[in-house]
Amino acid sequence: MELEWNRLDEILEGRGGEGFDVIEVLQDIQGSYDYLPEEALRRVSASFGLPLIEVFQLASFYKAFSLEPRGRHLVTACLGTACHVRGGSRFLDEILGQLGVQPGETTEDGAFTVETVNCLGACALAPVVVVDGTYYDHMTPAKLRQLLEAVRAQDLEVVASA
Amino acid sequence: MPRLPNAAALASLRKELKEDDQAWPIRVTLSSGTCGQASGSIAVLRALEESLQEEGLTDKVHLRVTGCHGFCQQEPLMIVEPPDVLYCSVKPEDVPEIVTETLVKANVVERLLFAGPASDRRTRREADLPFFSKQDRDLIGQNRFIDPCDIRDYIAHGGYSALAEVLTSVSPEEVIEQVKASGLRGRGGGGYPTGKKWEQCRAAPGDAHYVICNADEGDPGAYMDRGLLEGNPHLILEGMMIGAYAIGSRQGYVYVRNEYPLAVSHIHTAIDQAREFGLLGEAILGSEFSFDVRVARGGGAFVCGESTALMASLEGHVGEPRPKDVHTVERGYRDQPTNLNNVETWANVPRIILNGPDWFAGKGTDKSKGTKIFALTGHVKNTGLVEVEMGTTLQEIIFDIGGGPQNGKQIKAVQTGGPSGGCLPVSRFSLPVDFEALAEAGSMMGSGGMVVMDDSACMVDVARYFLKFLQDESCGKCVPCRIGIDRMLEILTDFAEGRGTPEQLDLLEDLAWTVTVGSLCALGKTAANPVLSTLRYFRDEYEAHINEKRCPAGVCRALVHYRIDPDLCVQCGECIEACPHDAISEDGDQIEIEDSLCHKCGICQEMCPSEAISKA
Amino acid sequence: MANMVTITVDGATIRVPEGTSVLDAALEAGICIPNLCHMPGVEPIGACRVCIVEVVQGNRRKMTASCTLEAREGMVVEAHSEAVLRARRNIVELLLAEAPNSRAIQDLAARVGVTKSRYPMRNKDCVLCGRCVRVCDEVWQSRSLGFVGRGKDRRVALPFDERPETCKRCNACIDVCPMTITPCPGPMKEGGICGLCESQVTMVENIGDTCVWCELGRGFQCARWQLRGLLAPA
Repeated sequence: MELEWNRLDEILEGRGGEGFDVIEVLQDIQGSYDYLPEEALRRVSASFGLPLIEVFQLASFYKAFSLEPRGRHLVTACLGTACHVRGGSRFLDEILGQLGVQPGETTEDGAFTVETVNCLGACALAPVVVVDGTYYDHMTPAKLRQLLEAVRAQDLEVVASA
Repeated sequence: MPRLPNAAALASLRKELKEDDQAWPIRVTLSSGTCGQASGSIAVLRALEESLQEEGLTDKVHLRVTGCHGFCQQEPLMIVEPPDVLYCSVKPEDVPEIVTETLVKANVVERLLFAGPASDRRTRREADLPFFSKQDRDLIGQNRFIDPCDIRDYIAHGGYSALAEVLTSVSPEEVIEQVKASGLRGRGGGGYPTGKKWEQCRAAPGDAHYVICNADEGDPGAYMDRGLLEGNPHLILEGMMIGAYAIGSRQGYVYVRNEYPLAVSHIHTAIDQAREFGLLGEAILGSEFSFDVRVARGGGAFVCGESTALMASLEGHVGEPRPKDVHTVERGYRDQPTNLNNVETWANVPRIILNGPDWFAGKGTDKSKGTKIFALTGHVKNTGLVEVEMGTTLQEIIFDIGGGPQNGKQIKAVQTGGPSGGCLPVSRFSLPVDFEALAEAGSMMGSGGMVVMDDSACMVDVARYFLKFLQDESCGKCVPCRIGIDRMLEILTDFAEGRGTPEQLDLLEDLAWTVTVGSLCALGKTAANPVLSTLRYFRDEYEAHINEKRCPAGVCRALVHYRIDPDLCVQCGECIEACPHDAISEDGDQIEIEDSLCHKCGICQEMCPSEAISKA
Repeated sequence: MANMVTITVDGATIRVPEGTSVLDAALEAGICIPNLCHMPGVEPIGACRVCIVEVVQGNRRKMTASCTLEAREGMVVEAHSEAVLRARRNIVELLLAEAPNSRAIQDLAARVGVTKSRYPMRNKDCVLCGRCVRVCDEVWQSRSLGFVGRGKDRRVALPFDERPETCKRCNACIDVCPMTITPCPGPMKEGGICGLCESQVTMVENIGDTCVWCELGRGFQCARWQLRGLLAPA
């Protein structure tokens, strides 16, 4: 897969003055490319004059970063305490049953990536699941199943028409 | 907007803005924080804007979009003045009626008022909500009046007047004395006296002093800081500025969780606007005080809420804590004297300056002063952000404010302090929220998370949940935490899966002690608290798991068995379809659950239309 | 001339230059504080926690790692109180259950009196002591390998699992690794160390807390043992 590096050059421009810049750059790369490509990390290492191992360390320590490309749709199940006591862990079962993947994995067709988060701060609305940035509150396995089916249907349309 | 050259200019701007605000004939407030948006407030907002256009009311109606009011379960909330009425759980479909009835005719739409479960009496005004009646909403109560994306609202509401007072007539040392006298203690969990911390930082030698706002609120189930930072970011900035002035700092940082995108956006906007108005930057309000703030987003690591790990992250490293034999006020960020405080701690500072330290010290208990915001969640009727005077009892919070249990169940415990805290049983609900009282009882105030649990929660499972969380979040550097937590989890998993032995209970206690004394940082040092507190108060549940291989609450999957009652089963096959693990199938004329494939998720039970599935 | 400070360790008065760690001060003075991730010539990281001690101030006692604790004038330290011995034993027990096939860890276990483990045995190759990372970073200035991941998944790795150009192929990482010291050939007991190591425990009980350059030091490459100039593994 060919990636264009103009975006990366833009992100790197003018950065490096303060310690935190490197993490911010990685966050911007994650936001722009939806993951951290190996080549991007090598370029960051060269640009900042940091040993490659250090950049790799940052990429592997923080959960916000993904070293593998993500699927087209991101499903995040909240596993915070409030969500847990209201049955949040069952969503992992439902997701496994529907999509066949565990948290951190992407479905084979590249449609879905599943992740978990340890609290979104919307605890009064527990249990919460986020799909493509939209928060869904007071979820139940049934509602989640419907939601995933709807997203999949939409995705198939988009993929078919591409 | 030109820079405000001095305090007088700020005061006259405030006067002007207040007058402008009063001039609006109709005011509508819509709560649209993260909870609000998750409940559909954006659609309501669009509907409202459209409706106002159509009715030609845009010149007459001041629409103010705010952050969380704290009454999270009934979001989105809408307040209309006149006639000062609160509408709950507003939907876009409700908007036309609201506009024609309330905005135009000042009539109340009764069905949208808050109705308590017991009475038919509905509440009209937000201030009269039973949920708020026992609260002292000094901090969170301000959210309702402020659009977080408009600094002018904050100024009109009295914002930055504390800073102006400090810059014109209070010396840094005096500021510190006032904060000390107030008795304010850290709200992030540590409870360290804030004034003392500022004093130590100021006195420490260094090339530069730094102030940091720890907005990496990682305790699952706690979202007070989100409510404050999202809804009133300037309050935190003002607190930081006052602190920076007192300590002698020129540079501050706000380290905020990545998982709070709205808070990140609002604090950025607030900083930009403060700079525009000259409230950040050089020579603020014409004084000699210069200060600026940078925002850093967390990378998804709970451990970065620990101060030394946060500072390491800020320096561009992985968030690994370092030993605190030398405190961060002496050597912190970049090895310089650094004062780190939690969001709520900073938020308390402006009021202490404006109202004086005695006002703050007049609230609360002997050693815990002021108010504290708690995130009340879990198995309780009214969930949301609750702000009470320190010393209020757990009983009052959970029953009077929280409304008691849901669905006719019995409340069993409350978990406070997040993964560093503990579980307290109902018998201890007369405890006041006070740093020392909660710690003595085996829990801790922590940052304010308060998760209520009824008898459907298994305390062994709760302990296991927190250990899994900590195992996930541990940085992994030191042996007691990395390996110790793993081994504690191994033992608890044995309990939960029916392999527990009584000897393991003794081992667990010895191991818990070792993790507590041996770990490098607070994450490890407090990791054993959920285990120790549940052992202390709910030992009978552990013993049931170990000696009887039984989970009293019916939660631990290996110890429960789902079965279909053939007499009640209507053979609809819903369960077969619903089962994510393909564990249910038709066997002749009966539908059966294959125990070895069953993951005990309970989804089948939920789907069954004839309540034929039960667990034993 | 550096400022000197005086501290007390286990009742003994020791004078050291300001900035010396309590562990170094104790070892130099002949007091044995067992340790694993400690290595002369590199920065201490306080990862293994084996070297923990209690700092006594009035009736307050605080347990902390001595390798990262800077000696300050008047500090009072106890390296062999009951609480410290219990904690140290438990920590080494955790290490033993992770990597029982390491001679270094077996010797450490014998030194602190651990003969068996109450946990199911695992068989790891690395206990994340960080000696390799620090020798590469600080002594050879190569910065070629490091800790990646977090928590349970933390491991020592090369970037993208490829040896980078900066690697000088000096093999120092292998030399300083405590796991490469050939374990003794004695048979392991069920959940415990072998009889040969157990006999070392008796020796330890007789020599107490002072260092007499015991053979165990060779196993976990104790700093004092290294000072003797005998760095080669058995």
